[in-house]
Amino acid sequence: MRLRRLSPWAPVCALIALVCCAGADAAGPAIVVAGEPPGAPKDAAVAPAQEIQLPNKANSLKFAVIGDNGNGEQRQYDVAKQMAAWRARFAYELVLMMGDNIYGSERPQDFVQKFEEPYKPLLDAGVKFYASLGNHDAREQRYYKYYNMDGKLYYSFKAPKEDVRFFALESTYPEPQQIEWFRKELEGSNEKWKICFWHHPLYSSARTHGSETRLRATLEPLLIKNNVSLVLNGHDHVYERIKPQNGIAYFVVGSSGQLREGDLRKGSPLTAKGLDTDNAFMLMEIDGDDLTFVAIDRQGKVFDSGVIKRREPPK
Amino acid sequence: MLGVVISLALVTCASATSQKDRANPNAAAIAEFMKRVEEYVALHKKLESTIPSLPKEASPQQIDQHQRALGRLIEQARASAKRGDIFAPAMERIARKLLSDIFRGPGGAQMKREVFEEYGQRNIVPTVNGRYPDEVPLSTVPPGVLAGLPKLPEALEYRFVGTNLILLDPHAHIIADFIARAIP
Repeated sequence: MRLRRLSPWAPVCALIALVCCAGADAAGPAIVVAGEPPGAPKDAAVAPAQEIQLPNKANSLKFAVIGDNGNGEQRQYDVAKQMAAWRARFAYELVLMMGDNIYGSERPQDFVQKFEEPYKPLLDAGVKFYASLGNHDAREQRYYKYYNMDGKLYYSFKAPKEDVRFFALESTYPEPQQIEWFRKELEGSNEKWKICFWHHPLYSSARTHGSETRLRATLEPLLIKNNVSLVLNGHDHVYERIKPQNGIAYFVVGSSGQLREGDLRKGSPLTAKGLDTDNAFMLMEIDGDDLTFVAIDRQGKVFDSGVIKRREPPK
Repeated sequence: MLGVVISLALVTCASATSQKDRANPNAAAIAEFMKRVEEYVALHKKLESTIPSLPKEASPQQIDQHQRALGRLIEQARASAKRGDIFAPAMERIARKLLSDIFRGPGGAQMKREVFEEYGQRNIVPTVNGRYPDEVPLSTVPPGVLAGLPKLPEALEYRFVGTNLILLDPHAHIIADFIARAIP
């Protein structure tokens, strides 16, 4: 997580990044050149040409993504520790949760052990978590103050910076009433960036669950029609960046506490990049029409990154 | 399996005319089940209205206290409730048939693994009005099961505890009724 000075190859690398990730079904990481964030150490090393970093601009929207995290085990704590360490250099203000927020019992002490304690440095710093509910989550979590769900199973909110709206769905019981709400909410949104998150992945190469094709048939037409740029899910306990589907970027981030080693199907045509040997979380940054992402493992090492261009409305 | 799912879905949606009852032999049983569900939900709502509402930014303690307070009220009001009060025998037969078709059909073994993935080696027998066992993670309910069973109001949901199909009251975190060993 060292921060780097801008490489003299910066313009070239930035161009490559856009070509690699924007719209094309490119496998492999895109290359992003690190900007120098405020307060970066003056002796920071020069980034190698292949170094992948976040722009870390002063007024961009920065957020983290975790999923299937709430087991209260060492792995969750390890990931949480890395999240806090990264935040010292990349001051994200939101965390999106992909569900399965609390595994097993949900007594008051479980909320402490499986959420408040591991993420205490973030909560103390005022980072706001926005949860979606997974299949193992009790619906009453929607009232939990730190999940910011406003007592709702599904909701949307405008990001504090940039022109972004997030939409959180409850995918265990995707009732027609919710789907209708989602359609209206998408149609009524004028934000440039529409980012959706929920638990069950429409696309996944994991053996245990895999793609939720029934849900895909219901939701995907709405995503395409309404110009959604990015969909984030969990459920499968792996990290997977899906090759863009109909112009939409999809990620499975279901290993921020849980991990199902070896669960990704090797050679899946869906996979742009996967990790099923360690836990992971993501950091994202939106600056204008670009979203830069990095995926980070339990040791704090970036293993995937790239740039997503926001989808343009159909002309 | 698909046939069963479609037929049940049709029954749920269709108006209960005698002609359709003849065409769909499950209609009467499902209608009776839904009547019992509605009676339960009416009681749930009546009792829930007597305790303070949960704030939208509640602490875990407030959530827990609310669940337990509502659970106690329901338990008192249904003190004589027993297994089968909501899942009447006819509805139980329909549900068992559906689950048998699904879990013994294509992909059934995988679905079973998903249902049991967080259950482990436990052997828990649910009880009517009993609190959902704290040590058991809420189970996955496969979409095919949800599509096949009658749609429930928000105050109740289908879950599994081991092989038992339960009706969970998520606000009170108690088991309203269950079908024992429903998964073959």
